[in-house]
Amino acid sequence: MREGRDGFVPNPILAGLVGICPLIAASRNLAVGVVYGIGAALCAIALAAIVPLLRSVISDRFQVPVMLALSSALALAYGFCVQIYSPAIAADLWIYLPLLTVSGLSLSTLRRSSSPSRFSPDGKSRLGAVAIESLMFFVTAAFVGALREIIGLATLTLPSPGMLPERVTIADFAPLRILVSPSGGFILLAFLIAAYRALIHTGGRNLQ
Amino acid sequence: MSYLGTIVTSVFASNALLTYGLGSVPEPGPSRPGSLASALALVCVNALASVFLWGVHSLVLYPLGLASLDVLIFTLLAVPILKFLSRAASLSGKGLLSRVGAQADDLVIGSLVFGVALISSRSGYTLPEALTASFASGMGYWLASCLLESIHERLELSDVPGPFKGSPAMLMSAGLIALAFMGIDAAFIQGMAG
Repeated sequence: MREGRDGFVPNPILAGLVGICPLIAASRNLAVGVVYGIGAALCAIALAAIVPLLRSVISDRFQVPVMLALSSALALAYGFCVQIYSPAIAADLWIYLPLLTVSGLSLSTLRRSSSPSRFSPDGKSRLGAVAIESLMFFVTAAFVGALREIIGLATLTLPSPGMLPERVTIADFAPLRILVSPSGGFILLAFLIAAYRALIHTGGRNLQ
Repeated sequence: MSYLGTIVTSVFASNALLTYGLGSVPEPGPSRPGSLASALALVCVNALASVFLWGVHSLVLYPLGLASLDVLIFTLLAVPILKFLSRAASLSGKGLLSRVGAQADDLVIGSLVFGVALISSRSGYTLPEALTASFASGMGYWLASCLLESIHERLELSDVPGPFKGSPAMLMSAGLIALAFMGIDAAFIQGMAG
C-alpha cells in the first residue's frame, strides 16, 4: 500500500479492487455490509498476527494447507458468532460467511505474510498495513451496503442483534430497486471507483 | 427443476461471477479466459470440488449434525487433493492436459471453486444435480469472462471518460451483462417451450 505525500493512504478496495466481487454480491444492505466487513477485517488481522508465529514451527511444504485451514477456522468461528448474534444476518450472508476463508483480503494477507520479515519493503509493519487495509475494507463494505439500501429501497437495516434486525424506513417507495441486485451493485461500484479516482486526481492537482 | 433448467439457471440467472460475485472480473493479461484449456480447467475443478464437498456434506457431516464444518473439511482434504491432481496434470508434459493442469492449479485456492462447491452442496441438490450445476457454473463463469474480455478489447479503442477507464468500465459492463442474464432462467425456458 502506498502512502501519499500528505499522509493519505489510498483505499485498496476502490483503487486495487481487493475482494471486490464477493463484496458486491454480499453487501446488499447496511447490516450485511457491516457484518461482512467486520468478518473480513477480523480474519485478515488475525491471520496477519498468527501466521508469522506459525512460520517458524511449520515446514515449508505444509505452510499453505495449514494457513488455509487456519483461515477457514477463523471464518467458521466468526460465522458461529454471527449466527448467535443475529440468525437473520447470518442467513442473509449465506455462503459468504464460510467464503471469508478465501476472501481477497485474507488471501492478500496470506501472500503478504509469506515473507519472513515483519516489515514490508517500505519499512512499515505488515500487521499495521493489514490493519489499515482491513479498516478500509470494512468502511467500504458498510458504505456500499448503506448506499445500495438507501438509494435502492429507501430503508436502512441496522446491524442489531436478534431474530429480525431493526429497519428504518426513509420513504414509502423503492426509488431504484435494481441497486440491491448484483447488477446494480456492479454499476454503483463502477461509479464509486470513478468518483474516487476523480477525487484523487483533483486532490493531486490541488497539492501540486 | 429439470437438468436443462439447472444448466440454464446456473449459466445465466445464477451466474457464478455476475450473480454470486465469485472469482474476479478478468483483468487484461497473459491468462486467456477464452482458451479451451481455461474452459476445461474451470469445468473440471468446479465439478470435482463440488462432487467432493457434496459427498462430505450430505453423506458424512449432515447425518452427524456437523454440516457447518464443511468448509473446514473441504480446506483440509479437497484442496490438497485438487492441488495434487492439477500439478500432476501440469507435469504430465502432454499439450492440452498440461495447460489444463496449470490453469487448474491457479484456480483451486479461490472464491470461485469454494463458492460453487458450497452452493452445490448447500442447495439441496442430488449428486447428479450438483454435478450438473457445478459444471454449468464453470461454463457460466467462462462465458462471462469471455464476454468481459471481448468488451475490454473494444473499450481499449473507445473514447471512455478518464475516471471510467479500466476497471470502472469493466464493472459497468459486468453490471449490464448481469442485468441481461437475470432474465434467462428455468422459467424463461419453460415459457419459451410453451
